[in-house]
Amino acid sequence: MYLSNGLIKGMLGLYNIKVQLNAFLKEIGELTYFTVRFFREVFKRPFEFKELLRQCYNMGNRSLFLVGITGFIIGLVLTLQTRPTLLEFGAVSWMPSMVGISIVREIGPIITALVCAGRIGSGIGAELGSMRVTEQIEAMEVSGTNPFKYLVVTRVLAVTLMLPLLVIVGDAIALLGSYLVENVKGNVSFMLYLNQVFNALEFGDIIPATIKTFFFGLAIGLVGCFKGYYCKNGTAGVGIAANSAVVFSSLLLFIIDFIAVFVTDIFYDL
Amino acid sequence: MKTTNSQKVRLGLFVIIGTILFIAAVYLIGQRQDMFKKTFTINAFFQNVNGLQKGNNVRYSGIDIGTVKEISMINDSTIKIDMTIDEKIVSHIKKDAIATIGSDGLVGNMIVNIVPGKGEAAVITNGDTIASYNKIGADDILSTLSVSSENAAILTADLLKITNAMTEGKGTLGILLNDTIMAQELKESITNLKTASRGASHAIDELNVIITNLKTNDDTVLGMLINDSISGMKLKNIVLNLEASSTEIEQVLGSINAVVDDFSSSQGAYNYIVKDTSLVNSLKSTLKNVNEGTEKFNQNMEALKHNILTRGYFKKLERQEKKEGK
Repeated sequence: MYLSNGLIKGMLGLYNIKVQLNAFLKEIGELTYFTVRFFREVFKRPFEFKELLRQCYNMGNRSLFLVGITGFIIGLVLTLQTRPTLLEFGAVSWMPSMVGISIVREIGPIITALVCAGRIGSGIGAELGSMRVTEQIEAMEVSGTNPFKYLVVTRVLAVTLMLPLLVIVGDAIALLGSYLVENVKGNVSFMLYLNQVFNALEFGDIIPATIKTFFFGLAIGLVGCFKGYYCKNGTAGVGIAANSAVVFSSLLLFIIDFIAVFVTDIFYDL
Repeated sequence: MKTTNSQKVRLGLFVIIGTILFIAAVYLIGQRQDMFKKTFTINAFFQNVNGLQKGNNVRYSGIDIGTVKEISMINDSTIKIDMTIDEKIVSHIKKDAIATIGSDGLVGNMIVNIVPGKGEAAVITNGDTIASYNKIGADDILSTLSVSSENAAILTADLLKITNAMTEGKGTLGILLNDTIMAQELKESITNLKTASRGASHAIDELNVIITNLKTNDDTVLGMLINDSISGMKLKNIVLNLEASSTEIEQVLGSINAVVDDFSSSQGAYNYIVKDTSLVNSLKSTLKNVNEGTEKFNQNMEALKHNILTRGYFKKLERQEKKEGK
């Protein structure tokens, strides 16, 4: 009897895994369809420029402060934390090049993207989710407006275009934060710091890092829109949509980053 | 929801700032890789590039003047390095410049160092090849170290044998270390040596005093000879005079010899007197006659003194002689 119960529990567990796997695969499939639909709709007229500009402003300008302060602190902390170790080796003069490469190649893009996934991804998920549960999307369909084009395409495009700019500004502010520490602790001039940073940087650092931020933006926008657009279960579903948008897009960011490093390695021989 | 004008302006500003930052970063990186400068290409051949890569810096007298453009294998032992050099610097690089591969600091990137040549060569032109110098790599140093350590091991083994032999009292050094009698003798020898050296030192001191006296004291002959320049000059003159006198004496002796030769060889009176015996006899008889004559003359003179006619004259002579004698 005990064994049969265990067997039943095991079978139930397996069934649950199967159900979850099916749901996951289904979600991946739906996301793929969603992505394909986005690429189909993005080149179709009419183009919603005004809505695109509004979304760009919302996602770009309004994230600037958050990205700026995050970047500044990251630059500051990275320099403060690394400095004692480099000092031990007598290699403090390597600090600007080390911090510059770290920020431009990896820390700047990934931190900015994670911040944006939290702010923008959850915002999109919650906004579209609430529109879905309050049947505004259905109303738009009934009124003859293409909700996908108006709501999804504009938002995804806005994140895709704004994130690289946010990353560049964030990198610059992070380097500024790092420079402040270097200036206070090591009395390094701004020109020397800038020279050392750009002496260490190559196109192999900045170009792939910028290209991958487009994919980061695309991922954040698509996942946020997907989660919100297909939101279920009323108002409770809005929270879940916002939450899962952040979690899934963050996971996706790391996967994209991993792939980007591999591709960069092939082309630039890091 | 409509986008307001201020929102559009702020968005535009953000996009422009972001784009400018990106372009500035790309420009700064490109500038460091000489993408926006007029460049020149020169090359050098190496046997070992020690991990040099494309894009590494090229330095001339410590200034970054370009980057490594291409690294290509020519054959199994020759590697060609093409370098892109800033055109402004080229006028300072001469054809006898030498390229070496070094490291930028202890753990830094590899760099190509171009050092100026010593001669007055012409300025380098595009595509020229400059001489290279292969530095000793870390592997070479390690292999040398390995040989050195092997030698050190052999040396220490030999040293061990020597020390063992010494402690056992074998060999001269062993005897020196272990033989107490020899040590005593050696000690005595050293004491003797010490005494001898003390005596030698004393003798040297005295010698020094003598030499000092000689140097400083002009009263002694040697001191005067050494120090007095006036006496020296006089002595020199004396010697010169002596030399002149001896020359003259030699000449006089020569003349005397000639006269003597003439005497002996010629038909003069001397020769006649010395060699003719009949003349001697004649001279003898003549002299005899002269003696007899003078005797008789004296007698006559005496007779004259006593003669009345002449006696007054002689008395007058006597009185005059007496006056002069007083």
